[in-house]
Amino acid sequence: MAMFSGSPYLRVSYAETNRILPEPYQRVLVGAVAVAALVLPAVGNAYLIYLLNLTFLAIIGSVGLNLLTGYCGQVSLGHASFLAIGAFVTAILANRYGAPVWQALPAACLVGAGVGFVVGLPALRFRGIYLAITTLAMHYAIIFILTTYQANFGSSATAGISVPAPALGPYEINSGRAWYYTLLLVSFGVVLFSLNLSRGYIGRAWVAIRDRDIAAASVGIPVARFKLLAFVCSAALAALAGSLGAYFTGVVTVEAYTLELAIIYLAMIIVGGMGSVAGAVLGAIFMTLLPFGIERAFEAVPHAWRLGTTSYGLQEAATGVAIIFFLLFEPKGLIEIYRRIAEYFERWPFRYRELQPAERR
Amino acid sequence: MMKSIAARLCLAAFAVGLATGPIQAQEYKIGYITDLSGPLAGSYTPTWQGFELYMKALNDRGGLNGRQIKISLDDDGLRADRAVAAAKKQVERDEVLGIFGLSLSSTIGPVLGEMRKAGVPVASTFSAILDALPPAKPMYYSTGVTFEVAGEAIAVLSQRIAPKGKVVGVTFDSVGGRAALRHNKQMAEKLGYTWDEIVFPVRTADFMPFAQSAAALKPDIVVGHYGAEQNLGFVTALRAAGYTGPYVIAAYGASEATVKQAAQQSGSGANLYIVSRFAPVTDAVPGTKAIKDAAAKYGLADVNSMHVTGWMLGAFAAEALNKCGASCTRELLDKALQSIKIDTQGLTGGPIETKPDDHYGTTYWRLYRWETDKLTGVGDWHAQSALTFPTQ
Amino acid sequence: MELLVSILVLGATHALLAAGIVIVYKASRIVNFAHGELAIVGAYVFYSAGLITQGQSLLLTIAATAAISALFGVAIYVALMRRLVGQPTFVAAMVTIGLAIILKAAIVVVWQSKSVGINLTRQTLYSFPGGGRLTLVDVITVTCCIAFFTALFAFFNYTRLGRQFRGAAENPLLASQRQVNVNLILALAWATAVFSASLAGVLFGSRSMLSPQSTIIGLSGLTAALVGGLDSLRGAVIGGMLVAAATYITARLIDPALSEAVPFAILLIVMTWRPWGIYGTPEELNRV
Repeated sequence: MAMFSGSPYLRVSYAETNRILPEPYQRVLVGAVAVAALVLPAVGNAYLIYLLNLTFLAIIGSVGLNLLTGYCGQVSLGHASFLAIGAFVTAILANRYGAPVWQALPAACLVGAGVGFVVGLPALRFRGIYLAITTLAMHYAIIFILTTYQANFGSSATAGISVPAPALGPYEINSGRAWYYTLLLVSFGVVLFSLNLSRGYIGRAWVAIRDRDIAAASVGIPVARFKLLAFVCSAALAALAGSLGAYFTGVVTVEAYTLELAIIYLAMIIVGGMGSVAGAVLGAIFMTLLPFGIERAFEAVPHAWRLGTTSYGLQEAATGVAIIFFLLFEPKGLIEIYRRIAEYFERWPFRYRELQPAERR
Repeated sequence: MMKSIAARLCLAAFAVGLATGPIQAQEYKIGYITDLSGPLAGSYTPTWQGFELYMKALNDRGGLNGRQIKISLDDDGLRADRAVAAAKKQVERDEVLGIFGLSLSSTIGPVLGEMRKAGVPVASTFSAILDALPPAKPMYYSTGVTFEVAGEAIAVLSQRIAPKGKVVGVTFDSVGGRAALRHNKQMAEKLGYTWDEIVFPVRTADFMPFAQSAAALKPDIVVGHYGAEQNLGFVTALRAAGYTGPYVIAAYGASEATVKQAAQQSGSGANLYIVSRFAPVTDAVPGTKAIKDAAAKYGLADVNSMHVTGWMLGAFAAEALNKCGASCTRELLDKALQSIKIDTQGLTGGPIETKPDDHYGTTYWRLYRWETDKLTGVGDWHAQSALTFPTQ
Repeated sequence: MELLVSILVLGATHALLAAGIVIVYKASRIVNFAHGELAIVGAYVFYSAGLITQGQSLLLTIAATAAISALFGVAIYVALMRRLVGQPTFVAAMVTIGLAIILKAAIVVVWQSKSVGINLTRQTLYSFPGGGRLTLVDVITVTCCIAFFTALFAFFNYTRLGRQFRGAAENPLLASQRQVNVNLILALAWATAVFSASLAGVLFGSRSMLSPQSTIIGLSGLTAALVGGLDSLRGAVIGGMLVAAATYITARLIDPALSEAVPFAILLIVMTWRPWGIYGTPEELNRV
């Protein structure tokens, strides 16, 4: 099967130009990954499935953050608080009011969207570092409110608010495998949603705002509206991730949503490649599995060489090292590595492209 | 010829059977997860060391029912998601019978949720959650400290310092701290004290303003409900602010080492008290001799009451495994954990006892006072059998 | 009276931290998010150096810590920041965040997350009638702060290198064309910043205790710098005092639990009124 369709200029219809995966080799690659993902629960062990479930949750969150910071260029350190809001709304509705999942989940997303709107208001006035500090202040405010709430919640407050397993009709999502397929479906939906946004008018407007918002305003893009839209979408997706995370873990505690978590999500999109949905996915996979990889590698080191430390400090350092490494040596992220390799094969045996490519996603 | 080949094959099979021998003496596999290098490692690492010490000594004595005890150790860095991942790994990969240790209460909830689904019993040491108190929820046991119970016990023991007056409770703004203050306040007011409290942010690095606020309230007793390091900072600040009265450390992770460091750092060890569930190793009881001998044997210097805490969990786990018997499974272990009674040999005021509806038991607390270079008990152990005040 | 003294001492620490952030920002327009971690690591280094010399020679400990801090600052510049020339400042800010994570993990790995205290001296100088005490450490803190700022002021205004520094900060390209060694200036900026961070960390550690969680003081320093203006040393002092005063008054007189939020509230107010800080130069705010 021909993997390459020749020159990217030989497109004969609008449909062909607008394909998400224009080249045959891309379709084969994605197809292979999809098949592997569907088949994996049958062959993998429960621990691996658990790790992948964590990865899917991270993907939902990082794709959301990518919309805000990668496409729209608004630096936000408040992502962890959106996750917390989603988790808490779900927990309160499910625990206190016995709401079923198909009510609690959308409610969490709506509340998250609302909070995102409020957090996004300073973005109309500040940029860059000042916006980051403002979102940080909002993060602390939200966490403070949630801590006070959890403290007064009732018995077992110290253990957190428990969330019953979600049930869709007669089916309860209780096992690792059930969660795997559910989360796979949801992250696929989220990725599709994000691709749709980014390839349309909204996505292009966001990119324009990111590059030069004054110029964007001068060509007629309602900058304020789109900035707020970015915050709302990102917060809603983060609330979705937080809500699913609450159902997955079964218990919600406010201590889990720290500033470090927000930085890890930022690291995900930086390492993966900002402004690219595939990059956000790759970054999420990388940053989620990195600590476990280090733990495994550390276990292989003989006891005497460990110098009394555990792998925890190294795992922490690994996040920072990954950020610095990618920023110094590969600022465009993992997705750029993929693109370079793909381009090499696309133009082989020629060394250079004959003309600039039409549009890279 | 066929017959001889068959005979040789049979002989070979028999020989192979002999070589592998009878089914290998199995081990009791248990898991231990705690914070070994995260924010509260200073408190939780000694607890693990005490647990390990007990198990090592036990294995040297021949183990239980002829079987050795094998521990899978994991570090959760005080993060709930890491704790859950470690627990899942231990359950699926290492096939443990039960999970022990754990760290802060915020990590216990999520782990418990997963372990209940997997049918694995969990027993935690210091930091316990209310699930263990009657009416006990399934699969969770504890030999540790619950904030609410500690708060009440401390109020009762405060009477030995000053029978009347003003008590100021200090904590940081966390769920556990607020719970401790709530119960401390209720019991203190019931006993006739006036109460005031100061809650500072979790991430406070500079305690001066809060210490000065506390001093300005002119208390008769100040009680600190937080971990070891906050005690250090707060005591220093409190003495610098001019308050020289009694200060009581609530021992969630603080030990005689903490008190010693606090005395050094603040310049004076006068009027420093600690309320602890387990005895410091300077108490001359049979239990401390056992732990000190084990520590000397395995080269662990400087044991303190946090090691004792882990040691007691070790004794608890060992008793449960012993009762569980030779063909122990997770269900049998859970059953065994519901009817434990161990003689603590003076390490706490009485036996540790669990029942099917009470996985925590009566706890014993003692007030100690810092005298020059060690802790001396003020009065005897106080038994706290249940929560006097309901949780909200 | 005692309140004023406490605010002065706390404000001095914040001002020192803010100064380090301001120096780096003035020179290279990079916001250093790792400042708190640098301060605490410097304090831990001081503690370890003290252990090695067994508390005998204070001067040696100070000299060793100062040297290590300055060298580390130069190393940060050479290894990390120099490679980021030409990149958007968001990238440099994220690199400092990465550095902060690594430093915090280093405390865990090297010092096993131990909580330590630095005992410079415990001498009380004066006891207030209300009950507070003025210790020698408090006086040392304020004195160091004053000395440091005076030295910086003299450096920037009266030495050749200081003037070159200001030139390089305003326009590196033109300065380099006039034979100003911009690399040297930037390395010097980082060395000074890390040195001041260590100084602040040591002074902080001698009044309180150190642990990996203490790195949160960097956030107060950053807030103070933002309030005062990221490129103004005068603003660093004013911002530090303001934030310290607000935190203290909230903690003492209003509600202790809110004292963490107050610096952010001040920041929001200042930024809404004057986004570039009280003494900052008005700029396009397209920084990160």
